[in-house]
Amino acid sequence: MNSKKDNVGQPILSISEVTKHYPIREGALQRVVGHVRAVDGVSFDIFPGKTVGLVGESGCGKSTLGKVVSGLTDPTSGSVSYNFNNQLVSISNLEKNKFKNFRRNCQMVFQDSFASLNPRHLVCDIVGRPLKVYKEVSGYDLVEKVVSLLNQVGLGREHLYRYPHQFSGGQRQRISIARALALNPEIIILDEPTSALDVSVQAQILNLLNEIQKARNLAYLFVTHDLSVVRHMADSLVVMYLGKIAEAGETQAIFAKPYHPYTKALMDAKPSFDEGQNSKAKGLEGVVPDPARPPQGCRFHTRCSLATDKCGWEVDDVVRWLEDTPGMFESLTAVERKSEFSAVLSFSDESSAANLTQEMRSEKLPTSMRKALNQVKINEKNVQIEFEPVEEILLREKDGRHTACIIEPKN
Amino acid sequence: MWFMQTWIEELLLENKMNERAFDNSHYNGDTAFRVRIRRFGALVGRLCANPTTVIGLIIIGLMMAMAIFAPWITEANVPDPYQMPRDWGAVRKPPGTPGFLLGTTNEGGDVFYGVVWGSRTSLQLSLYVVGSTMIIGTIIGSLAGLLGGWVDEFLMRLVDVFLSIPELIFALAIAAVLGPSFTNIIIALSMVIWVKYARIMRAQVLQVKQNEYVEAAKVIGDTKLNIYLKDILPNAVTPVTVQATLDMGNVVLIGATLSFIGLSEAGIAEWGVLVSEGQAGIASGRWWASTFPGMMIFLWALAFNLVGDGLRDALDPRTEGR
Amino acid sequence: MMLDTSNQKKFVAKVDDLKVYFNSKRGTVHAVDGISFDVYKGETLGLVGETGCGKSVTGRSFLQLLPIPPGVLVGGSIIYNQQNNSSQRFETGSKPGFPNSRNFEFKKVDLLTLTGEEIRKIRGDSIAMIFQDPGKSLNPTLTIGAQLSEVFLQHRTEEILEMAGLGSEASGAIRRFASQRNRIFDKWLVNLSGNRSTKSRVEKAVADLVAKALSDTQVPNPVKLMDRYPHELSGGMKQRVMIAQALACNPDILIADEPTTALDVTVEARILDLIQELQQRRQTSVVYISHDLSLVRRICDRVAVMYAGRIVEIGTNNEIFKNPRHPYTIGLMKALPSADTARGELLAIPGNVPELINPPQMCRFFSRCAFATDKCKNQDPELEKVTNSHSVACFADVAEISGK
Ligand SMILES: Nc1ncnc2c1ncn2[C@@H]1O[C@H](COP(=O)(O)OP(=O)(O)OP(=O)(O)O)[C@@H](O)[C@H]1O
Ligand SMILES: Nc1ncnc2c1ncn2[C@@H]1O[C@H](COP(=O)(O)OP(=O)(O)O)[C@@H](O)[C@H]1O
Ligand code: SF4
Ligand code: SF4
Ligand SMILES: [Mg+2]
Ligand SMILES: [Mg+2]
Repeated sequence: MNSKKDNVGQPILSISEVTKHYPIREGALQRVVGHVRAVDGVSFDIFPGKTVGLVGESGCGKSTLGKVVSGLTDPTSGSVSYNFNNQLVSISNLEKNKFKNFRRNCQMVFQDSFASLNPRHLVCDIVGRPLKVYKEVSGYDLVEKVVSLLNQVGLGREHLYRYPHQFSGGQRQRISIARALALNPEIIILDEPTSALDVSVQAQILNLLNEIQKARNLAYLFVTHDLSVVRHMADSLVVMYLGKIAEAGETQAIFAKPYHPYTKALMDAKPSFDEGQNSKAKGLEGVVPDPARPPQGCRFHTRCSLATDKCGWEVDDVVRWLEDTPGMFESLTAVERKSEFSAVLSFSDESSAANLTQEMRSEKLPTSMRKALNQVKINEKNVQIEFEPVEEILLREKDGRHTACIIEPKN
Repeated sequence: MWFMQTWIEELLLENKMNERAFDNSHYNGDTAFRVRIRRFGALVGRLCANPTTVIGLIIIGLMMAMAIFAPWITEANVPDPYQMPRDWGAVRKPPGTPGFLLGTTNEGGDVFYGVVWGSRTSLQLSLYVVGSTMIIGTIIGSLAGLLGGWVDEFLMRLVDVFLSIPELIFALAIAAVLGPSFTNIIIALSMVIWVKYARIMRAQVLQVKQNEYVEAAKVIGDTKLNIYLKDILPNAVTPVTVQATLDMGNVVLIGATLSFIGLSEAGIAEWGVLVSEGQAGIASGRWWASTFPGMMIFLWALAFNLVGDGLRDALDPRTEGR
Repeated sequence: MMLDTSNQKKFVAKVDDLKVYFNSKRGTVHAVDGISFDVYKGETLGLVGETGCGKSVTGRSFLQLLPIPPGVLVGGSIIYNQQNNSSQRFETGSKPGFPNSRNFEFKKVDLLTLTGEEIRKIRGDSIAMIFQDPGKSLNPTLTIGAQLSEVFLQHRTEEILEMAGLGSEASGAIRRFASQRNRIFDKWLVNLSGNRSTKSRVEKAVADLVAKALSDTQVPNPVKLMDRYPHELSGGMKQRVMIAQALACNPDILIADEPTTALDVTVEARILDLIQELQQRRQTSVVYISHDLSLVRRICDRVAVMYAGRIVEIGTNNEIFKNPRHPYTIGLMKALPSADTARGELLAIPGNVPELINPPQMCRFFSRCAFATDKCKNQDPELEKVTNSHSVACFADVAEISGK
């Protein structure tokens, strides 16, 4: 995606069409029976000195994307390109020296500050380790450098020789940040750095991160599920749903008017503090579908309140609907799929089949789903259903924003 | 080892640092070296807070002293000190006989000599077996845990095969094939016991590997070997250490059983052999020839088990640093 | 220190000077150090504060769920004012004039002094609790239906017996059956009293009740859900099962200890709606423990702000959030990122919660307070009334602070 404007210049990191699929293995032979599509075709750019916020529900692939971007795991396809002297070069298949260069410049801070600090290492070992790895300094100078890093994050010399368990959550997160700063990187990937912290400590850490960003012109990829935090921190925003981008653009613009129904749903679910007592919050129906079998068309259509008949209704939706309708699912014996959009459902008795046919034509089926039905044909105990096939709904640009929704946003 | 090296570096650094004045008033003069010593001291303190552990440590200490100072306690037999001396003029003497504090065996062997020099044999047995198996098991378990895939699959099937046969019977079979000798007992035991460490180590590595600090080390760009040595091994090795301590005792027990059955050379100064050779006399009232070595085996195994249990508690992360 | 109880509202529970300490190697941790508050009928009371300030310990005290030792109940009481009006107790799903399932008859009890047997009868029956991690509170080896049946058999025995058309002679047996402490005769009694199909009738009655409780929490297809195991459910689903279980017996008080912290916001909103709706329908009082101010702001009637084992401010929702009087409350609210705070200019409270080991006689917020004076260093402020419902524990001039 080319969301860059001319005045911003070159991105420092460019993520293009990145997918990451984890194999699902089963049985004694560990045969691959399918893939969890944790990240599925994501592109965006990170610019120097700017913060990109990455939000979405849990399990939608935020951390996986963070790991791919930081080079911890290789993407299944697509590429992450790093800016070497104004030239974007993909980080996979880099020669050793160049990868080392990228490694130094792209650091990461993890959510669980307890788990991300080795319990057997002293603070001076932890913060000094990157310097040792790259043989920057050693001996006495190393200690002094570590002290200066600790000072930058609001800790001091007295904390040098302590173990991580002797610190509070906020202080441990500061140690993680000091470690990430040690090599003077250009990008830091922050994976939910404040989710485990109290508001008062969160405010301290957010302020600290901003201060450092200004002083060093750092770029952040800020992963979080807290919209109020991301609104405060991020210049641009990427909203992910089930491994795909639902909406991306300037943070202020998105908060002012979310185009994608999913973004809107996230915002409605958590009214901000200022909205006061008895403010209305609206949750989302249902759960995030299995990323091993993502829905057709728009991945959000199973939960979208605005879904139309063109949003990708498919056989799985009928099965899900049957599951949630008491009585019917028990008499379903087989589903023979011809494609995602057409199948034959077999029932144990004819009355159930007739019943289903009737209900599928009635108000009980969501209107948009009913409209998408091309045919429902009953043949004794079998019901043949066929939906209008739909292509995947892709990101479209409008006003410098990218939205993956079939509904044209109203101005 | 790498941590020895860092400790020495830090010790040298400490002197240098003390010469400089610090601007920070909160600084309490700690150095990495002192903190590590203190942490080690705290571990020893926790270990010693448990009376049964202390008893175990004392017994082990005495046994070790006995093993080390054996030539000074009783004069070494020539030419081979590990052979029981034979005094055919003093067979079947009861304990308390002048010159034979704990009596003599059927062949005129001094039971006291056997008890004292047997501690050397036992110590050798324990150290060789536990030392070698711990290293082999740790390496194989780590490889399986780190590499995964078919390497893991292959190594763990191998371990399963070994584990499906009872320890004692397996060792017995190997020792029988190799022929009766003390060295063969060591080999047989080593071949049996390494699987336990491999299993423990693999499980530990798989668990520790999941920790985010391993990921964090990768982001820094540290080498795989360093990550293994600094992050994975130190955090995974605790249960292996505990198991090794317990095995220091158990190995002597199994070794004695094998010796008892006669898979060791006859006449060697080894507790199991002594028990075996002395047991015939129990029926006719000559209890000493097997009782004293038997007691030593029991004490040895008990002491290491006490210390092993204490170590397990002292190393428990829930009690650490509280 | 004590709150005024002369106002007309009826309290369901009255916590008075509760003190819970923990013995540790480094000293005595004053986890909860003399707190008092009332829980009124049908209200939602929010309990907010930073990590480690004693919220969970307070919540757990209601049901004697503290680990003792190392915990020590140093003093205080939690008076539970039982709503002993049996015809109202089972307004849903029971017939009028149905006998009360409770077999101890008192109106006010001190929850802290009850014996194990007595508190067990209260737990899950008149006072229920839901926890942060719904996964850990469910038994992984039992189906959802089986777990809920146990609770229903235990606490709603009479109702089940009547639905199954049985006499009350089997009630003890059924209850013991449910808690798996059954004696040899119980099986026989359950099976044979009445006629042969008794057992299946009881099972049917329980299944109906469970299905109804689950459908109350708006899970799709509750009958199917009953055959599932906990690990097959998502976090939100598990939390709903926990809520169904907690509300199964129409409790007077529901203690919710951060029930949505582990969940996504989209799920959280629905769980909160659910709790609120059920609460309004049944007039349950909810003690809602959370560190999320915007959430507490949205759903609570009254709010108690805790700091270092004490309540520093308590009042109605609007009093606390529109007119905060304690520097800590003000600090918490300013620390929230909002639409118009400039980046990097959040007003964080400096420092951390102090260690609660043998705290000195002074204001516990002293080290972090921007309004501290010498008086605060030498004296411990007590809760003082500002209005009839609003109390603050601070020496500073409240007007001056709220002016800032
Ligand atoms: N079992 C225990 N042993 C020792 N100290 C304890 C124990 N349980 C709680 N504490 C201490 O009591 C204090 C209050 O703990 P509590 O769990 O109530 O905090 P909280 O406000 O619920 O925090 P969080 O937001 O983390 O849940 C803390 O200082 C804690 O360390
Ligand atoms: N190592 C892995 N193996 C298999 N599946 C994984 C692995 N890591 C993550 N996943 C799956 O990928 C999806 C996205 O996960 P993640 O990126 O951790 O989500 P988030 O950070 O948004 O909570 C989830 O369905 C998760 O189960
Ligand atoms: S395309 Fe838009 S309207 Fe259709 S389901 Fe997706 S988000 Fe909803
Ligand atoms: S009593 Fe003093 S120190 Fe405590 S909160 Fe009030 S002003 Fe601050
Ligand atoms: Mg994550
Ligand atoms: Mg808590």
